[in-house]
Amino acid sequence: MMSIEADLTTRNTQLKNRIFVALVVVSNSVGNFLLGLGMEQMPNFRDIPFFSYVISFATNGWLLLGIVLMIVFMLSQLSLYSWADLSYVLPVTASTYILSALLSKFFLHDTVSVARWAGIVLISFGVIFVAETPVRSDDIALEEDR
Amino acid sequence: MTWLYLLINITAGTIGDLLTAKGMSMGGELNDFGPRGIAHLLRYILTYRLVLIGTISNAICFCSFMALLSVAEVSLVVPATASGYVLKAILAKWYLGENVTWRRWAGASLVTLGVALIWF
Repeated sequence: MMSIEADLTTRNTQLKNRIFVALVVVSNSVGNFLLGLGMEQMPNFRDIPFFSYVISFATNGWLLLGIVLMIVFMLSQLSLYSWADLSYVLPVTASTYILSALLSKFFLHDTVSVARWAGIVLISFGVIFVAETPVRSDDIALEEDR
Repeated sequence: MTWLYLLINITAGTIGDLLTAKGMSMGGELNDFGPRGIAHLLRYILTYRLVLIGTISNAICFCSFMALLSVAEVSLVVPATASGYVLKAILAKWYLGENVTWRRWAGASLVTLGVALIWF
């Protein structure tokens, strides 16, 4: 029987895990969206001197904010790897694609086709399938032993 | 040029994820996310070779993603770069020794199919 202390530790880990999955998903999708927006405003790499390109890049607010969010994404994903399997983290954080599609629908007014909705449904099922597994291989072995 | 960037992106992304996942799991579970904890995490990334090489590989993946965005539509870039989910699940089992259950295989496959559909 699980002790109260062990139960609390498990709950804390679950809460921490949910917070970090959300952080990875939001920072990655919003970061990618802003980088895409910023890159659209950039001149063609071959059309201007390298130094001018670097100046344009470093003074583009969308790109800078996008890069900050990508750093948040990188640090939160690395933190997730410290307690969760790669084969758990990657599919679960694929909700990024759903949020990216929704961002482009609401902010860029892209149309969402039937195929795109089908893709969102498939990814959601994929995320649910994996989210219900224990975060670590050791925990899967324990669950199978019970 | 698009295909070269894509090849670099998928290879660097796969190597980066595998090495960082292995390196971070060896350092123990992180629990402190205050300034000291973040400083410890940054020091660990910079001094632990597996994580450092993995992070450099992920940075190469990021740069090739930016280069891809400048030469191709996002609707081609995103599904193409997402094709590595099943490959990473195979390598997670083989290289990291993870217990990839049928639910995880199914999840990785559904996500790959879904990402392909979402951008077409």
